[in-house]
Amino acid sequence: MSRSVRYTSSPLLASKTPVWRSKLIVAGIALAFAGLAGRAAYVQVVGNDFFQRQGEVRFARTLELPANRGRILDRNGLILASSVPAPSIWAIPEDVDGSKAQLAELARLLQMPMAELNKKLSNEDKSFVWIKRQVDASVGEKIHALGIKGIYQRKEYRREYPEGEAAAHVVGFTNVEDRGQEGMELAFNKDLAGHAGSRRVIKDRLGRVVEDVREQVPPVDGKDLQLSIDSKIQFFAYQKLRDAVLTHKAKAGSVVVLDSISGEVLALANYPSFSPDKRQSLSGAQLRNRALTDTFEPGSTMKPFVVALALQKGLVRPETQIQTAPGRLTIGGSTISDAHPQGLLTVNQVIQKSSNVGTVKMAMQLQPREMWEMFTQVGFGQKPQVPFPGAVSGRLRAYKTWRPIEQATMSYGYGVSTSLFQLAHAYSVFARDGDLVPVSMLKSADPAVGVRVISEKNALAMRNMLHMVTGPGGTAHKAQTMGYSVGGKTGTAHKQEGKGYADKKYRGFFVGIAPTEKPRIVVAVMIDEPSNGKYFGGDVAAPVFSETVQQTLRMLGLPPDMAVKPQIVTNPVEESF
Amino acid sequence: MTRLNLVLLVAVLVSALYLVRTQYESRRLFVELEKTTALSRQLDSDKERLQVEKRAQATPLRVEQISRERLQMRSATPAITQYVTYKNAAADGSAP
Repeated sequence: MSRSVRYTSSPLLASKTPVWRSKLIVAGIALAFAGLAGRAAYVQVVGNDFFQRQGEVRFARTLELPANRGRILDRNGLILASSVPAPSIWAIPEDVDGSKAQLAELARLLQMPMAELNKKLSNEDKSFVWIKRQVDASVGEKIHALGIKGIYQRKEYRREYPEGEAAAHVVGFTNVEDRGQEGMELAFNKDLAGHAGSRRVIKDRLGRVVEDVREQVPPVDGKDLQLSIDSKIQFFAYQKLRDAVLTHKAKAGSVVVLDSISGEVLALANYPSFSPDKRQSLSGAQLRNRALTDTFEPGSTMKPFVVALALQKGLVRPETQIQTAPGRLTIGGSTISDAHPQGLLTVNQVIQKSSNVGTVKMAMQLQPREMWEMFTQVGFGQKPQVPFPGAVSGRLRAYKTWRPIEQATMSYGYGVSTSLFQLAHAYSVFARDGDLVPVSMLKSADPAVGVRVISEKNALAMRNMLHMVTGPGGTAHKAQTMGYSVGGKTGTAHKQEGKGYADKKYRGFFVGIAPTEKPRIVVAVMIDEPSNGKYFGGDVAAPVFSETVQQTLRMLGLPPDMAVKPQIVTNPVEESF
Repeated sequence: MTRLNLVLLVAVLVSALYLVRTQYESRRLFVELEKTTALSRQLDSDKERLQVEKRAQATPLRVEQISRERLQMRSATPAITQYVTYKNAAADGSAP
């Protein structure tokens, strides 16, 4: 049979390979290892930062922790504005895949016509479309339950204003990005907004957060803001004002209620107003906070300041008699007249009957500088110290430029301009014992310390005069209110139009204090262009004052200071045998 | 020598497996914590929302309307109010 081959000893099989070949292989492998080591050194030492960063980009995420916007509260802690979650619905159009019925249901939930929804979803070039921003949380849940592919929600917050239009001008509103745009929302935006926090986390394949990389920066929530507004007083003031504006077919109106002891603003309402939630078709007329941004000539409401100054300078006493007949007075070629000519009047009666001639006679005994100082001290021509966006200063010209006729007209409120808020503030001089209280929009616990303008005795005398205005023979008996003594001054001014005064356009206003014995509040009411026959301040504004005072004092828990005839109230019950 | 090495090898393996488990457990717990935190935030904002809703139901406008229309109530005036004073209040000077 065959013989086996002896490989080991076969000379044919003896290796003839040169040694260098094996050495070459070894060297090649060594080189490869050196290459690997070099690469490792490069990755781990030289380019370490770069690779570390690249790795992190792929699994670490920075999450923003949004801060909650602070609430706005009224003086009793009731909510005037607060943020509530309101999901925004968005979609990736090309991914949207839902049955017709599902999409119809979605459109119904969003209260959106089907055509509009289809239009939004038909734009397939876009990878992101908002379908509707900030819907109700409950709607968001229902949409989530529908489970349509390609429809997503983003968590957002929306501002809610439970008081609605009654407090709209004070509170203001925010935009869709949650930034203050008007009113207190704007003025205190910084405090309310807070600071967003952040955290660095590692996310897993499914997008779940699995680890914190470093310390979190916790969000700082915005501070709550407690206003001096009392939402009940605010509401009643707004309601009465609205009724009056509608009854008198007026263009607009404002009312301001000040607490004369603490200087807090209890209510500040304007009509027309707006609903802060529905701002689609807002007009400037609705938006304006007239009480602070609109100035007008204060008319007769200016007279008490001139009289107070004359008392203060010792020129007259409340009983001093002044001849106002024949109801006309000529100064520098211009004639000043009274609407209802009177005869011999005491200073008290000059205010009570609102005589222009009487006031001018007192004013002409005063230096322009003295009058200017008085007006400035009570805040005319100066921006009120309230943090309201757009608050105006009004106009009070330097006394050196006053001509005598101008000094005369200014004494009964023409040739100067002021906002209703300034007017209310100025009257706090009479409500307090002759000092001007600093006003505040925020709740403050301490009684305020004022700056003295007139003496205590003269303030008391002025209060008596103001009280007489609302009494028999005064211009504003409609300002009286049941149970409380009131005092105030009416004003009716022609509206300026272009260069002169408009023929039949007026502003009626009333500024007053209550109760006169121990005043607690100052209320100022302005009705712009009443056009339903009546236009005198005593007719259009005084009733609003009366009702506002009644409600406010009751709400503040002040017992009546005047005797009231009790009325027995019975429900008529039908007799039966 | 070999025995010691074997023991150490086992020890390393056990410790490694334990580490894996602990890591897993810690992540699981972390996710749970996350969920709970999110829930608490959700509840917080729900509370806020409900408070606002409650407030919206109790605005002066609504209260007035309902008390006037459904309960036939009227606003009180001093004429139909009986004011009572009690001694302590009188001492404070807050009574008439």
